[in-house]
Formats: sequence, C-alpha cells, structure tokens
Amino acid sequence: MMKTKLDLGIPHSDLASCVSCGLCLPHCPTYRVTQEESASPRGRIALMKHAADTGFIDEEFVEFMDACIQCRGCETACPAGVEFGSMMETTREALATQTSYQRWWRRVGYRTLGWPNFLAFGSRVLSVLQLVRVLPKKLGLPQIPLVQRKLLSSGNDVFLFTGCIMDAWMRETHRAVQRVVEATGNGVQFPSKAAACCGALHVHAGLGDEARRLAQRTMAAFPGEAPILVDSAGCGAQLKSYGHLLETKEAKQFAERVLDVHEWLADHINELPQKPEKSGRVAVQDPCHLRHVQKSHQSVYEVLGRYIEAVPLDDEGLCCGAGGAYSAFHPDTAADVRDRKLASIERTGAPVVASANPGCLLHLRSAGLEVRHPLEIVDSLIAKDV
Amino acid sequence: MVQISTDAKLFEDLEAVLGDRARSGDFELGLYGKDGSVLQGKPAIVCLPLDTEEVRQIVSICRAHDRPFLARGSGTGLAGGAVPVGDPVIIATAKMNKILEVDLDDRIAWVEPGVLNLDLSKELSPLGFHFAPDPSSQQVCSIGGNVANNSGGPHCLAYGVTSAHVVAIEVVLPDGNLALLGDLTAEPRGYDLRGLFVGSEGTMGVATKVAVRLTPNPPAVRTLLLDFADVRDGAATVSAIIAAGLIPAALEMMDKRAIEIVEAFVNAGYPTEADAVLLVELDGLPGGVEHGVDVVRTVAARHEVGNIRVAADNAERELLWKGRKNAFGAVARIKPDYYLHDTVVPRGKLVEVLEKVYNIADAYDLIAVNVFHAGDGNLHPILAYDSNEPGVLERVHAAGRAIVTASIEAGGVLSGEHGIGLEKRDYMGMLFSAHDMATQDLIREAFDPQGFANPLKVLPSGSRCSDSFHQHVPEGAWV
Repeated sequence: MMKTKLDLGIPHSDLASCVSCGLCLPHCPTYRVTQEESASPRGRIALMKHAADTGFIDEEFVEFMDACIQCRGCETACPAGVEFGSMMETTREALATQTSYQRWWRRVGYRTLGWPNFLAFGSRVLSVLQLVRVLPKKLGLPQIPLVQRKLLSSGNDVFLFTGCIMDAWMRETHRAVQRVVEATGNGVQFPSKAAACCGALHVHAGLGDEARRLAQRTMAAFPGEAPILVDSAGCGAQLKSYGHLLETKEAKQFAERVLDVHEWLADHINELPQKPEKSGRVAVQDPCHLRHVQKSHQSVYEVLGRYIEAVPLDDEGLCCGAGGAYSAFHPDTAADVRDRKLASIERTGAPVVASANPGCLLHLRSAGLEVRHPLEIVDSLIAKDV
Repeated sequence: MVQISTDAKLFEDLEAVLGDRARSGDFELGLYGKDGSVLQGKPAIVCLPLDTEEVRQIVSICRAHDRPFLARGSGTGLAGGAVPVGDPVIIATAKMNKILEVDLDDRIAWVEPGVLNLDLSKELSPLGFHFAPDPSSQQVCSIGGNVANNSGGPHCLAYGVTSAHVVAIEVVLPDGNLALLGDLTAEPRGYDLRGLFVGSEGTMGVATKVAVRLTPNPPAVRTLLLDFADVRDGAATVSAIIAAGLIPAALEMMDKRAIEIVEAFVNAGYPTEADAVLLVELDGLPGGVEHGVDVVRTVAARHEVGNIRVAADNAERELLWKGRKNAFGAVARIKPDYYLHDTVVPRGKLVEVLEKVYNIADAYDLIAVNVFHAGDGNLHPILAYDSNEPGVLERVHAAGRAIVTASIEAGGVLSGEHGIGLEKRDYMGMLFSAHDMATQDLIREAFDPQGFANPLKVLPSGSRCSDSFHQHVPEGAWV
C-alpha cells in the first residue's frame, strides 16, 4: 500500500491519554455495527499514535479515519476523559491540508453552505425537481419548500440562530421555535445573512480555515449581549466551541452567550403557558451533539415534559448515524447504525419521535418514522385548545 | 496488498474462506497486537469469522501451514492473554455476536462467543434473568473472553465465577475438530472437560458457542456505601461482615486515590475526604435484604465507620456502580499508564498486604491505587506511571514483583480473575513447583500437542518440550 508522509500535529501526551481499556467500544456506533477495532475510538487513537510515531500513513488509515461519525459518544463513556473529538478534528485537518483527502468538488460543496442566496436558489431547483418527481427517493431528501416566507424579528431579548441547510429546508421549524420563545414573553431577533453557517460540517471535514472564516463572520452577525439560542444541536455545539476554535477573547465571550434553545427554555419553564393535562407520548432521540458534546439533553425532557410524556430511549445515547454529512458519504454504515436506533425507538412504543437536531431528524424520517423537532411538538400543543 | 512472502499463501487460503474478512494491512494488524494490558505484539494476519464453520476452517488452514492461532474477544484482557506472540493468526470472534437460543425451561441460553456480557444481561432482563458474572469491563467484554479467563466480577462473591455459569461449550479443538464439552444435564459424563476449558485462556481451542446459565434477577436489592477515615477499619469490616455469617452479593473496596479519580468521572457523591469506602450490595428476598442491611450497619459501627449511605433508587445504585466499574480506565486521570495486578490473599491478611502494597509503591516512587473485590480477598493494586519517564518501567516491574511476592507470602495466589496470560507467565514458578507446571503442561498437551493455540502463554517457556515458537517477545513485555 502507498505510504504518504503526514504530520499529524497531535501532542504525544494527548495520544497517550488513552490507556486502551476498551470501555468506549460499545458506545461507538461504528464499532457496534462492525465489531472491528479499526472502527472503534480506541483503535482510531492507536492508529493516530502509529501515524504520529512513524510520520507516515496509507490509504487504509485515511479510510479508517473517514469512517468515524464524530458523534463523540466515546467521550461520555471514557473514564479517563480522553478528548477524542478534538484529536479526530486535528487528524482530519491534517489529512485535508496535507493529502488529497477532501477533493475539490467536496470543498466546493462545503463552501456553498456559507452562501445563503446560492443555497436558497439550489433548494428551489431541488424542490421543483421533487415536484415533477425526477429525484430518486433513495436520496432521502425531505420535501423541500418551493417558497419560503421571511422570518420576522419580534424584539431583541434573544437571538435565534438560523443556519444554512436548516434555514433553506426547515424554516418552519424556526418559526415554531420563535412562537414558543415568544410564549415566554420574550422577543426574538434574527441575525443578518452573515450568520449563514456555523461551520460544523467544515470542522468535521477537516476544513479548519473555512470553519474559522465562517466563525468570524457568524460572530459579527450577533452584536450586543443578548443570548444566542440555537435550535439545531449540531450548530449549537459548534457555536459553543468557537472559543476553542479561534482561541480569542471575543470568541470565548461569544461562546458563553450560546445556548441550546431548550436549555434557555428550561430556565424559563414557568413562563411557558400551562396546560391542564399532558397529551400522549413521544420518544425522545438525544442528538449526540446535545447529549455528548453540549451535555444538555435533559433540558429537552424538561420542556417537552411540561406538555407530553417524553420517553427516553434505552440505548444510552448511541448515535443514530446521521452525523452531518456522514449519512450522505457513508449511506450503508449510516443505515446500519440507524437500524439500532430504530429498534430502540420501537421498544418505547411511542408513535412520534422528537429530535432536536435537523440532521438526525431527516435521517430518521427517511426511514419512514414520524419525527418532529421537540419545539414543533410544543408549539402545536400550546396552540391546541384543551 | 503487500505480503511477507512466507505469509502470502497462508493469507490466500484464509482469504478464500473469509473474503475481505481476512486482513493484513499494516495499520490494522497493529490494532490486534494489543489488549487492555500494556503489552504490544503484532499478529501475522487477522481473521474475522462469522460462524463455527469459518473458525474450523481457519484453524485447519493454520494447521496446514504450521501456524499458531490466537482467539480474541473484545480485547479488554489485562494480562496480555490476547497479545500475539510467535506470529499467530488472530481469530477475532467479535462478529460472532448472536444470542442463539434462550431456554427458560432449562434456564440456559446458547450464545456465540462475541456476545458482550452486559448485552446478554440486558437482553435477558425483560424475562427476569441475567448472566451473573459481571466483570468491571462487562459493558464491553465478551462471553468468549469470560470463558477463557474464568472471569469474576463484584457479584461473584455470592454467585460464583464464570465456571459456575457455563454448562456446555462448543469448541474448535487445535486439530480443527469440533467438540462439545459439558452438556445440559446436571452431572458431567466422565471428566469435566468443560471445567478444564473454562479458564484455559485460549490454549485448548476456540469456543464457538457457549451455553450459559440464567440467574433470576433478585426481587430486592440494597446498595450501601460505607466510608472510613482509616483504610484498616474498612478492611477489618470486610472480614467482620463475612464472619458475621453474611455473604453479600458484592463487597468492594476503594482507597482514597481510587475514590478521587472515580468521583471526578461519575460525580456520584463518593466521599473524596474518606480514606476508604466499601460498596456493599445485598440482594434476595426483601426480609433477608433488610436483615443484611442491619448486620452491615452493626458490624461497621464496631469498626469506626463514618457515613453509611444507602442508595435510594436504581439510578443512584447504577451511578455508584458506574464509578466502581470505570475505576481502572479513570486511572489515566493521574498518569497516562497503569499496571494492574490481580492477586488474591486470605481475607484476614487484607490489611497487612495492603500496607505492604503502599510501602512497596513508596519505595519505588510510584503511585498505588487500590480498588478491589474485598469480599473474596481479590486485590487489584494499580501502579500508575508515565512511560515517558526514563527508567520508570524497571521500577514498575520491580514493584509489581514485590507485590506478587508479598501476596504469595501471605498465602495468596497470582491471579484472581484476569488470568496469567503473558504478563504473569513467568511468575508461575513463584507459586508452582517444576513438577506442578509439568503436570499442567501435560493437560495442555492432551488438547494441543504442537502448541498451536495461543502459544507461549500461561505456562513459562521450557515447561513444555514442544514449544516451537520461541520468537520475539513483544515490546513492553517483562517476561
């Protein structure tokens, strides 16, 4: 196999922090479906160590690194507190900058996420293609709206981050979130188009420079000190990591303003309208970047639980396989991982699933489930006359 | 794929059976050179079979090529049992992970070796049963690995170790033949070969199906956390509880350092100011459990116990156990490397040996962390260190040897549950005479005359005449 030089750039002490006890293995979605060391966090760290020690990699190494969903479930499981996510991000960045890991067409694809006008146009084209039924169903795309009404600010108590794909494809979710936040008596402000994309997918792909550029742009779109609420777990995790990504004082201060919208609502729970009784049951899928990264998944249960019985899954937060762009690039693994999640959802017996991350939501929906954003459920229950 | 020429034909033959589940890539082979211990080797080829027939064919091909083989489960062993020595072919059974049959009438389940211990218990739980052996690594360790090491776990104090919970095993013998050891009836027919196989660390063949006993879930459980200002009082309480006629389901001890690192991971409210804690679990019928709680309280009060916390619900209970079961991995919070011993001493000698362990660690300028199955005297002294410090390995090695010596002098044995593997192989002479070991070797030879199955493990080289794989010793091995 062809050997290529690679300067991994991960300090030895970080790599040595893994004692290879293996307790992460069952919490890793790709290990769960392959039962192979190379698809486990412990294995991946050992591979990084080998690459760092020798200074060389081969195609097999790239394949193994690319197979990680970056869910970071291993970090929650790790008794030693190994920061796997950051090591994987560094590895991907080394691959993207020093090898042909990210081909030009993928780079262009990622770049368009930061161009809202282009995204809106492209989405409209997709929508038309869907309407005339020329797009194959197996692409797993959601029904994309042809026309989108503009989001209108209603005050300046809090910002609501809108993002790239989510705004282009699921803007009605933002509107539902806005209504729920407004129900607490607070006004919602939307950022300018400069806050086009958080850069999470870019970090995952190893495109660090692009991610840092997007971060700078995004930060500039949120002046003042109002809290910045996020209704996408993946974006929220990314915005919260800006301090780490940019290592500036401004970025750290910005990150402190960021809250998952459920966190904020859990703090304002008594300001939400009351209903005489709870209606029905909903299974709650904990997005990895809410549970393992932001560690704030409990707030979803608090908010949902005010109106409906929120049933947790029995899989200890094992990833669903969506992983941002992962399900597009690794459809087979993503589907295998999802099968475990579907089984877990089925065991709850609940007819509807709540997911606080658009990627997970679409991935689960494409398996035929009824999946809704938790706050869309709350919004409809608040509006309902009981 | 680039192959070392001598391996090319072997790989070709294995590939013909396994397709892309035979692996020889440089990076991937390295991953199967390690388990949960500090030792590192490298296999010749890795095989990932799906069923008994594939295992049988792999073993037969190895035989035809005069090549040893090594069965591997989840790779969490702590004694190097799954670390390849002598260029073997690895047979990783992780993909053989189906629960084949659950028979509530006979109260057994047939499972494949790659089924994870905790997965099995979770699967059985709705039926009201579980698999009793619960090693700390139970969330990831496999039933095949449990069989190989005759694994224990906190709840083995009352329930017995793996051997008591495995009734029959389908085995691919080192000559490639298939055999069923043990059966589902109560009495073995002839010699108890099943009992011989359990704990043989892969030196007698590869388990491909295991019939495990199902244990009913107890109707009532109480978990108590007792803290002590002096580790000696904790140890004395352990002996006194057993002496009072009580056999708790589990009786675990952690010292101050263990408490600190565990608490940093789980935030379960472990008392970080205490010198030691005991984690005591009682189960059974509600009346008996409450009586047990009273006995523990009374006994502990006589031994200067501080606070006694009783877990209020299952969530609190699980959190306390999560701390205990993640203790080894959490050692990395102190130092990046650890060396874990697994000696057993008579319960009455716990205090004495513990003090020796601390003195030995001090003498060698190392950090000792103790977290162990106190109820059956199974010590787990962990020596935490940083392998980047020059000369530290020699000190760890010497301290380890001193700990083993102290344990054996106190009337103890080398290993409670982690096995001998590679790590303790050359300590065997401290416990057994040459005659003892030659006798054990005869038994091994009866199964594996050529020494193909997990070569160079358990018995020191030289105890058998037919050792033919005296090749390199893996890096980091102190044998």
